[in-house]
Amino acid sequence: KEPPSGLGIEEEVSVQKRVRVPNVKLDEERLLGPAGIPKLRKRAAGLKLKGKGHEFSDASRLLSFYQLWLDDLFPKARFLDALAMVEKAGHKKALVTARDGWINEGRSKASHDDDDEL
Amino acid sequence: ELSDGTTDIVHPEVRAHISSLVAALGGASTEDDGRYHLGDDALEVLRDIKRWIRFYDEKTNRMDVARCIHEANLIEGDLLPILATWPENATDSKYKSRIALACFEIMVPLTWPMERDKERMTINHHRHMPVLELAQVQYKMAMINFDEARILHAAVRTALPSLALPASDRAARDQGIIKLVLFFLRNMAMIAPPPNVQYEGDETQISRSATIDAFSYQDIFLFLLTLASNMGDDFRTEDTAVMEIIYHLIKRVDIEKLFMTEQQAHKAKAHELTSLMNKESAMLKAYTRNGPTRHNRFGTMIWVKREDGKMSSLSGQDALADTTARNLKMDKNKVFKPPRRTKKENKDERDLGPPAKLNARATGQLRSFVEEFLDSGFNPLFSHVRKTIDREASHVMQYHRRQFFYLVAWFLEAERTRQKLKRDSRKSNDDVSSFSLVAGVLNQEMFITLNKAMNEAYEYKDWHELAAVMRCFTQILLTVQEMIESGREDDEEIAENVLSRLFYEESTHDIIANIVRTYKDQGFYYLDAATELVHHFLRILEAYSKQNADMQVRSRKRTRQKKNKDQQQQGTEDGVLAEENDDSANDDETAERTSKERKFDFQRFAARFTPQGVVDTFVKFTRFYQDMDDSQLKRVHRFFYRLAFKQEMSVMLFRVDIIHLLYNMIKGPEALDKGSGMFKDWEELVKQILRKCFKKIEQRPELIIEMLFSKLQSTAFFLEYGYEKQTASKK
Repeated sequence: KEPPSGLGIEEEVSVQKRVRVPNVKLDEERLLGPAGIPKLRKRAAGLKLKGKGHEFSDASRLLSFYQLWLDDLFPKARFLDALAMVEKAGHKKALVTARDGWINEGRSKASHDDDDEL
Repeated sequence: ELSDGTTDIVHPEVRAHISSLVAALGGASTEDDGRYHLGDDALEVLRDIKRWIRFYDEKTNRMDVARCIHEANLIEGDLLPILATWPENATDSKYKSRIALACFEIMVPLTWPMERDKERMTINHHRHMPVLELAQVQYKMAMINFDEARILHAAVRTALPSLALPASDRAARDQGIIKLVLFFLRNMAMIAPPPNVQYEGDETQISRSATIDAFSYQDIFLFLLTLASNMGDDFRTEDTAVMEIIYHLIKRVDIEKLFMTEQQAHKAKAHELTSLMNKESAMLKAYTRNGPTRHNRFGTMIWVKREDGKMSSLSGQDALADTTARNLKMDKNKVFKPPRRTKKENKDERDLGPPAKLNARATGQLRSFVEEFLDSGFNPLFSHVRKTIDREASHVMQYHRRQFFYLVAWFLEAERTRQKLKRDSRKSNDDVSSFSLVAGVLNQEMFITLNKAMNEAYEYKDWHELAAVMRCFTQILLTVQEMIESGREDDEEIAENVLSRLFYEESTHDIIANIVRTYKDQGFYYLDAATELVHHFLRILEAYSKQNADMQVRSRKRTRQKKNKDQQQQGTEDGVLAEENDDSANDDETAERTSKERKFDFQRFAARFTPQGVVDTFVKFTRFYQDMDDSQLKRVHRFFYRLAFKQEMSVMLFRVDIIHLLYNMIKGPEALDKGSGMFKDWEELVKQILRKCFKKIEQRPELIIEMLFSKLQSTAFFLEYGYEKQTASKK
């Protein structure tokens, strides 16, 4: 190897762009993943609301419930920003079908209850 | 290159020509207590300057001459003193009046409003405009505050010989002179310090108050009133120019303050001050409640235990307070901001400007003008302008329509305020002036224009005009409603008639619902106008349809052409082909539309205001709750109340960000002022909505997920009622 001559002008400089690490996004995949809505449903079982007379404290509890879930799911965005992203992702096809599924689940459960009553 | 080594930004020859012309014009004499003496060829010099402006600046789209004239101090140094040598009682000196006219012919292009049209701007525009804008402000200051002569009045005097002629005898030159003077006055009324520049001169000498004061002192208001009240007889094409002047005088003037007596104004000011101070102290109190109690290096640090065995750490004493504060703090520490599209520059914002503040003197002067205008000029001027706009006359500019609707709305509100004051001041006396003063804008032609403008502005996405149209519509509705309650039989009858016509077209209902549903960053002014219109439209229509149980509307039905033909052959179609409203005489389109009368069903109509788009618009509006006044807060309150409790669609409000907003309005760190009149109402409403929300969550646990998203109508219906909506089978 030749000794470096002078200022290193002759050395070749690589100009190729390195690929950036892709931005993490709060999209439908993340929402449908294990830390997403499935987790929210699991946690919802532990959510206790006091009911009549405690509307505002209940609201605060509910909001912090969502906030903590979103913080775990997508820590870098603020609460309201993250909510907007989730809402936007909700129009994607995969999520629409999933939402329909969840609602139908609830629906069949509700109709079972009705049958029991009868 | 200049002597000091810098290059001049205009061509040196241009500068040399202009300065030699300005020097040749004349100057203050050394004898004779320094009065101005005209040069020998002053008239020719003035004409030469005019030619320079026209053939160098305007033809080639530069602004070099204007810049040189500004630097040569032509207006303040020469033109104004020249006008001062034209004594007020000397009308017969032909030479002098020609000189005066030539002066105005130069001043008008120099004070002409500059457009920032990106596509036509050259490098010269970018170079000169910032200087020239300030120069115009300086010109205005010099002209309206000139001590030796009444410049504005002199302008009117130059036009007097032409004005005295009957309209039919006026030559093109006479009409040109009248126009010139009107444009001069328009420029005077319009020039304001450019926004986003700190104006360094004395603001009080160019403010709206100073302008109004000058207009009143120099008898310009009388001139305007004469023109307005004779519009249609002696004056025809001047209508838009007169309207523009009035627009620039009254835009953003607070009507309520305008009609206050001095005492009331004082009281209102004091009240405003106390309420602002209360607001501020409430803000400070809220801060100290959550603020640190020890010095800023006290160094508290806490762990927050979270689910799944996680811990987060937070520093600062305020984190000790409670869960909400901790959550807020956790959120505030994040720095990521989602990418947003840059806000489009709104070029129309320059036009309207900030709210006008008037001093007591200007208020009085403007009020008397407004009252006299309502009494004499309103109907002739505005019916004439409406006709001009309808026939799309060549002198109508795009912005004239917007100004027209803005002015109609403003004066209708002013008239209502005035009548209210009159009623209050003499309760027993029944001599309340009738609404005939504003009848010129309450006829069928006006409604056609209004509907057309609303459709067109919406289609062409001209949001600024649409906002003006919506305000105008709202004011018409309010005026008509007041007429119904006026207790005068003829007024009531007319009002009934007007309302039935306003509500007859179902296409109007459609477009109002569409506008409010499709709001997307058009700005607060637009949002305010749209929500206001919806509020009053719903309210008045509800009352009206209750009174007239079998109200009919004309609804349009789109059918395929073929089907339409078939049906017509079978004779089942009772509708007639609808007239095409817009001018595009598209035959296919016409054939596709049929219209028929149908019984109006308010419930069905109101259901159009339940989709997520409409709710989102109102929610976006509510986000500004801290800057809203009581009437705006009430508007949103009524809408949410109607949505949740009258139409049973509270599910639409069950979305986490909306709940967040509602909660923060009442309990958040920046809550509504507790002392304000609307606070109690809002607290109750939010409480009821929250209660409903929690009940629903218990009933249907899947709402926990759905609360994250916008809901479709069908989902919302299921969540609300627990069964599928029975879709009505189509005929």
